[in-house]
Amino acid sequence: MSETAVEARETRKVYGQGAAAVTALGGVSLAIRKGEFFTLLGPSGCGKTTLLKLIAGFESPTAGQILLHGSDITFDPPNTRPVNTVFQSYALFPHLTVAENIGFGPKMQGRPKAEIAETVKRMLALVRMEQMADRKPGQLSGGQQQRVALARALAPAPKVLLLDEPLSALDLKLRKEMQIELKRLQVETGITFIFVTHDQEEALTMSDRIGVMQAGRLLQVGDPRAIYTRPANRFVASFIGESNFLHGTLRGNEMTLDAGPVLPVEKGDNAPAAGPVTAAIRPEQIRIAAGGGIPAKVRDTVYFGTDTHCVATLSDGTEITVRLQSPVSGDVGLHPGSDVHLRFEPGALIVLPEET
Amino acid sequence: MAERSSFDISRLPGFATVAVTVFVLLYLPIAMLVVFSFNAGDSVAIWEGFSFRWYPEAWQNEEVKDVTFRSLKIATAAALISTTVATMAALGTTRRRATRGQTFVYVMINQPLMVPEIVTGVALLIFFSTIKVATGYQGLGYLILAHSAFCIPFAYLPIRARLEGMDLTLETAASDLYANRWQTFRHVTLPLVAPGAVAGLMLAFVTSLDDVVITLFVKSAGQDTLPTYMLAQIRRSVSAEVNAISTLLLLLTVVLLTAFFLLTRKRS
Ligand SMILES: Nc1ncnc2c1ncn2[C@@H]1O[C@H](COP(=O)(O)OP(=O)(O)O)[C@@H](O)[C@H]1O
Ligand SMILES: [Mg+2]
Repeated sequence: MSETAVEARETRKVYGQGAAAVTALGGVSLAIRKGEFFTLLGPSGCGKTTLLKLIAGFESPTAGQILLHGSDITFDPPNTRPVNTVFQSYALFPHLTVAENIGFGPKMQGRPKAEIAETVKRMLALVRMEQMADRKPGQLSGGQQQRVALARALAPAPKVLLLDEPLSALDLKLRKEMQIELKRLQVETGITFIFVTHDQEEALTMSDRIGVMQAGRLLQVGDPRAIYTRPANRFVASFIGESNFLHGTLRGNEMTLDAGPVLPVEKGDNAPAAGPVTAAIRPEQIRIAAGGGIPAKVRDTVYFGTDTHCVATLSDGTEITVRLQSPVSGDVGLHPGSDVHLRFEPGALIVLPEET
Repeated sequence: MAERSSFDISRLPGFATVAVTVFVLLYLPIAMLVVFSFNAGDSVAIWEGFSFRWYPEAWQNEEVKDVTFRSLKIATAAALISTTVATMAALGTTRRRATRGQTFVYVMINQPLMVPEIVTGVALLIFFSTIKVATGYQGLGYLILAHSAFCIPFAYLPIRARLEGMDLTLETAASDLYANRWQTFRHVTLPLVAPGAVAGLMLAFVTSLDDVVITLFVKSAGQDTLPTYMLAQIRRSVSAEVNAISTLLLLLTVVLLTAFFLLTRKRS
């Protein structure tokens, strides 16, 4: 178990009481490995911040346990946990300089002055803010404040760093820069990062592993490829990337679509053995062929630059989106009303478990 | 267009006349007081030429010195006590979600602003005389306590304003960075409240310094403060000395209030 940095065991959190009670987390169990970049991904209000607060110690769980490097810290106060947070609002101390902000943690830990000065210097270099040491936070841009907040949280050398949507306040260009920066810092320091975001692209590009959450539940944990190619259910399939959903009847490894054709399928985790099912396929896993596939009628095409999306309807009215690479001319030559055949890449059609 | 439809009091007929009259009534007497503090003659009504004589004369008056020091002593002690109490009251009233009793608590803290001074004065007179009889203590403590009490709301308001503008995440961040409760207060909360507390301190000081009504009721024999002394002087005969002292008090007040204004403005 020494490979686990943070573990949540059946962790529940209910805010308020009686009729006003809100269940923010409904029994989440999760093990985050040492030194990994772990992302909690989910829509707003699904309980991501709550889980971070329980790990940081700002809130106590209603039930369940939180373990850090194997020891139970469920009810330890935040100032005794070797865990630091990068707040969404940065929460830099406005009355202290950049250097004093960064030195705050080590100072409270009672480190000797010389060591603090050395740490501050090292952290300033790490986030490339040496020139700004004597400025006050009010004199910094958003991106610079972000770097200081990172340096401040890293300075006490925590076992785990928690980041609550740290990039959401930045504009697109800066956000891309900081994504790379964050990844670099994580690799350089080797500290376990728990990163929260509602942006699926950010999660896919930065993470070693992703935990997808919805309405206080953890739906799937896995590396970005597994999450994308083998979504555990319909929510994950549509929240991360786009998916087409097809209904039909499963028998063995074949599925008879409601629209008629019979297709080979892959079974996702917990998929039923037989009976009526839903299967998912990504728009880029479908080809348009002259013949031999599933007959469909083109409804519309939408030009996206590198890609062109073609929306086609099957005989039972099911809409399927196909992503095609745009040709040199920019025109894929498909017109509304024309008949086409859709061919699915082998293994791309995944049977999902029944919705509960 | 929006300008035309909005109500603008400065466009009412006669506005300028009223405004000028009010300013004259407010500031002309004060201006005369200041001017006549530099009068060479004894009169406070007839100008006899420019002179500084009343300032050293007032200062050489042992009685004036005595009451001035007493006033400053009381004001300093009352400002310190009331600011400490007000800081704790503000921390207690701004750090929680609104509760049912909140308004009641505000009213209790700000009670001296609403209850007529004369009522407080009489109440304290009766209360303190019981204690005086019981303990035999006759010192300045009663005046300091009374002043501290009515200064609390003046200290409380700027401190509360400051605390309400403070981001509570900062305290969470401090605890995240290994600060215990006391360290969080000492290194984060206190420095951020400080400008409000200094503003409160000055406001309380000025308020204590010019109190007459409550002081008159509470003071024992020989415990005149500057304002009650001046009042007694004027009742006997109007002295030009009083003009000089008033001018100095006015100067002190203006300086403190300007500093207060600068301190509270800086935030935004
Ligand atoms: N202090 C609180 N009191 C009551 N309800 C809360 C509180 N904090 C969060 N919630 C509720 O708990 C749920 C999860 O919130 P949160 O963890 O902040 O979600 P996320 O960070 O994923 O957006 C939401 O429904 C939210 O309204
Ligand atoms: Mg959140």
